[in-house]
Amino acid sequence: MSQAEGKTRFFAGKVLRYGITLVIILTINFAIPRAMPGDPMINLLGDEAARIDNQILGELRAQYGLDRPIQDQYIEYMLGAGRLDFGYSIHKNLKVTDLIYDRLFWTLVLIFPSIAIGGLLALVLGAIAGFRHGSKVDRLLTGASILMYSCPSFLFAMIIVTIFSFHLGWFPLGNISSGRTQGFAYLLDIGWHLFLPVAILATFEAAYIFLIVRNSITQIMGEYFIFVAKAKGLSARVIELRHVMRNVLPQFISIMALNFGFMVSGALIIEIVFSLNGMGTLIYDAVMSRDYPVLQGAFVFLTIFVLAANFLADVLYGITDPRIGDSMSTGKMT
Amino acid sequence: MELSLPGNLFRLLNDTGIKSLDQNPLRSLGIIILTALVLVAVFAPYLAPHDPKQTSIPYQSPSSEHLLGTNDLGQDVFSELIYGARVSLTIGFLSGIISIVIGVTVGIFAGYFRGWAEELLMGTTDVFLLIPSLPLMIILAAYLNPSMWNIIVVVGLLCWCSTARLVHSRVLQVREMQFIESTRALGYSDLYIIIRHVLVNTKDIIYAKFSLAVASAMLSEASLSFLGLGDPLNISWGEMIHFAFSRGGFANDMWWWYLPPGLMICVTLLAFIMLTIEGRKDSKILELI
Repeated sequence: MSQAEGKTRFFAGKVLRYGITLVIILTINFAIPRAMPGDPMINLLGDEAARIDNQILGELRAQYGLDRPIQDQYIEYMLGAGRLDFGYSIHKNLKVTDLIYDRLFWTLVLIFPSIAIGGLLALVLGAIAGFRHGSKVDRLLTGASILMYSCPSFLFAMIIVTIFSFHLGWFPLGNISSGRTQGFAYLLDIGWHLFLPVAILATFEAAYIFLIVRNSITQIMGEYFIFVAKAKGLSARVIELRHVMRNVLPQFISIMALNFGFMVSGALIIEIVFSLNGMGTLIYDAVMSRDYPVLQGAFVFLTIFVLAANFLADVLYGITDPRIGDSMSTGKMT
Repeated sequence: MELSLPGNLFRLLNDTGIKSLDQNPLRSLGIIILTALVLVAVFAPYLAPHDPKQTSIPYQSPSSEHLLGTNDLGQDVFSELIYGARVSLTIGFLSGIISIVIGVTVGIFAGYFRGWAEELLMGTTDVFLLIPSLPLMIILAAYLNPSMWNIIVVVGLLCWCSTARLVHSRVLQVREMQFIESTRALGYSDLYIIIRHVLVNTKDIIYAKFSLAVASAMLSEASLSFLGLGDPLNISWGEMIHFAFSRGGFANDMWWWYLPPGLMICVTLLAFIMLTIEGRKDSKILELI
């Protein structure tokens, strides 16, 4: 099997896997309101449906297609999902998709810088701790990251807001911007508002990835090729940068990708604490008013986003790791 | 403290994979903290100075009468905190048990039988790992009635993936060992080998993972409760923070209302994590929290 052919097979396998995952997720989303105890109509429309009289309920049922056989409903739902159509929000009388488009943007504005900063921080700190395994710095950083593990994100965010916004007054209490400004000042204003949320999310990201970077560096340092490199008389810096870090990168990319879902969850919570107008507050409001179509639409959108990020990371992984597609070394890579 | 433990209790602890306590101060500390928390939870009615449901003057600051003040309904926050230990620990333990049972079963069967069973089970695990768990938990919890038991089931059913992966990779190593092969050659059934040999040889990571599973279940529960999906009749620590947040405690800087439950969550999670730390290979297992 040639190298190129191996790569193609690797990517084809990935496409297939993500396709199947997407179908499963949409199916779960389809099944939940229908499988839960109670009338699926009420499950789809929220508690208000219980108060509507029976005739209108019957009409609504027909409109939503709940009176038809389940397989027809499924096909209809899948076609709707293909057009990214998830019905209407009950409380806001808006299309779920439109509501989400508005909010998703701000969530992404929050997530991407956090992931970039957090990942970079994890790589640097992980390298520092990993190369000085067992030292004071290592123990300090590991301890700090375990401390972050055990702290719920909303608590950390609340403490930070209390200190830096309530008492010191350095940062705003919430919201995306204070309005009134335009152009460059507007961007600066947003940056000022997003500083704390991004810093908090990045800290969590860094804490989670730090340990993995550190451990894989420690592991690689014990491998034979590092021993050989040392024996050749290469300087510590060359070994660290060219031999160790190079081998950490593929694992780093894949763990960043796997952590995407976690970051989305974290962002939702942080948004609520800072009352930023993103997916988190949308979900929070939807939970409060039991606005089920919004919850379901939000779930599908977030999952698609996480899937896409993972797929991208897998492609990147396939490109950066020369062993993939090489039949000699791909024991169980796909 | 550890040295004064009676002999068989010590052996019992050793059997559960909690070894060499005297060489591992962090682990002993974890055990001490958890024992204290469990005692607090069990003896909550005797420890709490007030009935947590009883109402009086709302929004009081800490005083000798109300150590941590009162909440929006005038309930004593300190008593609520003590009773909250029951709810949070119960949810954590039971969800942890559900997730560990599913994860271990999936991991062992996939690792031991290989072939299509492995493809199917680990494929499913990978799909579940990709789904962002919090949004899915939110949907499920929103559809179900807000009760403690529903939260236990929801969290338990969605937290098993990393356990399955960890157990799977260990079983892959164990099944290739010589003695497993000999047992198989002697004609013992697969189920016997799995229970008597494979399971025994994976128990150390199962115990460690259980501890972390409880921790992450408590964290998920706290997030769900913070979002207002908790059980209104059994207030957990996460839910206390939810009420403090949504009913003005946070906006009015009443730190005595939301900080103590938050710190309790931190301390409990930290204690569970400490149980799994081993001197040399520390935090290796944390990668798969």
